[in-house]
Amino acid sequence: MDLRNLSEQIIQKKREMERMSALWLLTEKNLKNLIRAKGSALIVIFAPLLIILILGLSFNTTSKYGLNIGIYAPTETAEVTKLIDGLKEQEFTVAKYENIDKCVEDIKRAVMHTCLDLPSSLKVESNKQIEIKYYVDQSKINLVWMVQQTLAQKFTVQEQQLSESLSKDILTRLSETQTKLNTEKTKIASTKQKNSDAVKSTEGVKADLATIDFTTPTTTYNAAVVDVFKTEIATRLSNTSQAIVETKATLAKINTTSAEKKKVEILLTKVDEAVSVASAFLDSGGPGSLQEVSALIAVLQSDVDATKIKLTAAAEKVKTNNENLDGVKLTIGESIALLEGTQAVLDQIHTNLQSQKVTDAAVVAQPLVMKIETVSAEKTYLSYLFPVLLTLVIMFSSLLLGTSLVMMEKNSPAFFRNFFLPIRKITFILSIYLTNVILILIQVIIILGLALIFIPNILELLPMLGLVLFLAASIFTFLGMVIGYVYTSEETGVLASISLGSLLLFISGTILPIEGTSITVRNIISFSPFVIVERLIREVMIFNAGFELLWIDLLLLLGYTLVLFLVILAAESVLHKHLLERFLNHHHKIHRQNQKMGKI
Amino acid sequence: MALIQLKEVTKEYNKNIILQDVNLEVNEGDIIGIIGQSGSGKTTLLNLISGFIEPTEGEIFYVSKMDGQPKSLAKNIHKLKRHMGFNAQHTSFYPKLTVKENLLHFGQMYGLKKSTLIDNAKSLLQITGLYEHRDKLASHLSGGMQKRLDISCSLIHKPRILFLDEPTSDLDPVMQKEVISLIQEVNKQGVTVVMASHHLESLEKICTKIAVVHEKQVHSYGEMEEIRKPFLKDYITINVKAGKDTERIIAMVKKMPVTKIVDKGDQLMIFPQDADKTLAQLMMMIKQENLYLHDIDLRKPTLDEVFVKITQKR
Repeated sequence: MDLRNLSEQIIQKKREMERMSALWLLTEKNLKNLIRAKGSALIVIFAPLLIILILGLSFNTTSKYGLNIGIYAPTETAEVTKLIDGLKEQEFTVAKYENIDKCVEDIKRAVMHTCLDLPSSLKVESNKQIEIKYYVDQSKINLVWMVQQTLAQKFTVQEQQLSESLSKDILTRLSETQTKLNTEKTKIASTKQKNSDAVKSTEGVKADLATIDFTTPTTTYNAAVVDVFKTEIATRLSNTSQAIVETKATLAKINTTSAEKKKVEILLTKVDEAVSVASAFLDSGGPGSLQEVSALIAVLQSDVDATKIKLTAAAEKVKTNNENLDGVKLTIGESIALLEGTQAVLDQIHTNLQSQKVTDAAVVAQPLVMKIETVSAEKTYLSYLFPVLLTLVIMFSSLLLGTSLVMMEKNSPAFFRNFFLPIRKITFILSIYLTNVILILIQVIIILGLALIFIPNILELLPMLGLVLFLAASIFTFLGMVIGYVYTSEETGVLASISLGSLLLFISGTILPIEGTSITVRNIISFSPFVIVERLIREVMIFNAGFELLWIDLLLLLGYTLVLFLVILAAESVLHKHLLERFLNHHHKIHRQNQKMGKI
Repeated sequence: MALIQLKEVTKEYNKNIILQDVNLEVNEGDIIGIIGQSGSGKTTLLNLISGFIEPTEGEIFYVSKMDGQPKSLAKNIHKLKRHMGFNAQHTSFYPKLTVKENLLHFGQMYGLKKSTLIDNAKSLLQITGLYEHRDKLASHLSGGMQKRLDISCSLIHKPRILFLDEPTSDLDPVMQKEVISLIQEVNKQGVTVVMASHHLESLEKICTKIAVVHEKQVHSYGEMEEIRKPFLKDYITINVKAGKDTERIIAMVKKMPVTKIVDKGDQLMIFPQDADKTLAQLMMMIKQENLYLHDIDLRKPTLDEVFVKITQKR
């Protein structure tokens, strides 16, 4: 059982090895076939290497984007110069323009990739953001993106610097304010202390003043007594005076006897008694007496004395408080001076803060505003894409048709007979070209007919567009024909045409921006027929460019056409014998194969 | 009258001599067959005569019908193309055009007037039997019809000379016969025919002259008889009933001036020095001896045999 298993395993293994051997042999055969078939080997092995080589050489540059930037600045300030220098440092090609329109025209001509329209000053001096306009050709979609990205990158730095400067300015002012406020704070604290002391002094004064006894004696002085007294005295004195006056008058006028004189004496005695009564009245302690008045006065005197003492004491205190109040006055005066100083400082701070012109947070945060301007009127994306699409269609159709028609003719059974026709080679070449042009013309008519729906003004552009398309079709047809003459099999020829078309497309800037390549490569690429044709169609369709602007490129295309035609003529002559030999060999081979297969 | 003359013509490809010092004259009205082993240079010779390729050395002349003066073929090829028709080994027309379109196209290429062209086309279509098929796509025709169309395309401009390279290759025997008869018909119309072929039997039937290309040279050139004589003589075949009178006949023949006797059992091949004399003697003796035989025939060597002889000679 084990032996049987072993045997089966060995057989299995042997079969596997045989399979592997066959696999390897077949692979080896395939590789040989592939390498010995020149066309396939060229495309399969060398084409990727060639593409890598081309791309490697093209993009082997440290410069990220080789943009041509046009700058229009109304005034050439230090900031503008700095900006230009900054752009140059990044290997941008910078050109200054005297007016923005000229720059925009150069964008249309693809001389410039973007134009910067700078304001008169790049300084932020108010709450208004600095607006930098840049013009782009929106039909170059990937370039627009690249320009946007590159400029945004560049101006973000610029903006950061500006924002930083503005912020620094504000922060400096804030710092100065803080320092001044700190100083003033100390002063205010001192003032506060002084005022506090003054308050305390005032409280002392207040307390002191509170201790002043301003209470008046409560004794009620009866002023009526004095009045009565006065009236009594006055009456009695008046009576006395009257009596005396009367006596004196009587004695003076009468020459009287003693009796009479006695009588006068009696009267005088009476006056004397009246005066004695008055005197006794004055001396009496009874009501209304002078004694009582005197007592009253004594009381009053006592009250007055007490009041005098109190007032003296009060006066003393007032004097002291006056002195204290002088101190308070001094303190308050100092406070006022200090406050005046503080007020001056605050005024300075205010002025300083007022001198800060940029106060808008949005401006501080984003002092620069980038505004995109397009170089043509807004159109649909189809309008922008149409030139590329049209170029692609023309290129691939012409290349493939050119190759196919030549191949068809070469591989046609009638090819041999054509050598015996009294027709010149040039006629054959031109017939293939004409056939191609007719087919392309039909394609173009269909495409443009459909395009009329989306781009109504296409009819106006037809003469110039037709000329460009004709030249484009001619160039790519001749290129396709060259490939057709070079390659032997239709498959490799078509593959080569597609490869060439793809290569032209690849290095045209349609897929990868050629602005990322080195200047030398870019200069070479700028002569690519695809690039020229696409540019011309774009200029005609989007910018309505006329012959006067396009004649150089048109001449270049015409030159290419003629050169390629001459190349085809030369190649056809050189290849004539070669083709004949190959043709004869090919048919002999078929003949031999048929013989071997017993067909003959 | 000479139509084409080759003088000391040598052709080299990549320093390899294909043909050397070839002298040849094609006369008007001839049907010339070029034969040779594969790779001997017969197609090269045809291509040289037709002006398709130029000689490395020597010169080829075309004799004008107008003044009878020989003109360099290479120098006047563009003009002379109008007088030549070439039929390659493979068919050479546009498969996607109809029979009529093909004829008209090639006729127009020769600059024929419309009326002439239509007449020529009609005539050719009738001769080739393609008239019924004139509106068919060329690719839809049978192999024989395609070959006839191909020859018609070469004749549309009524050339003085028609070159045919392997006209019967790829064709079945019936079609081969069709083509051969067509060539004869064309020749009858006054067209000189030069053709290279491996089908020696066909050539032997229709060619007025044969050129044998061997070892880089035109080994032999002339009428069939001229070609044959230096190499093989006529011989007599006698079909007998095996074993009956064979021995007696062989004994009689041995007394005659013959070089070789081959006994194939029921057939005797006798190679006499003088075929006609030996045949007469044999007939007389057979009658006298009352010998039995099926038939007796005087045979001439075929081109095939001559060709084998020539190519084996050296």
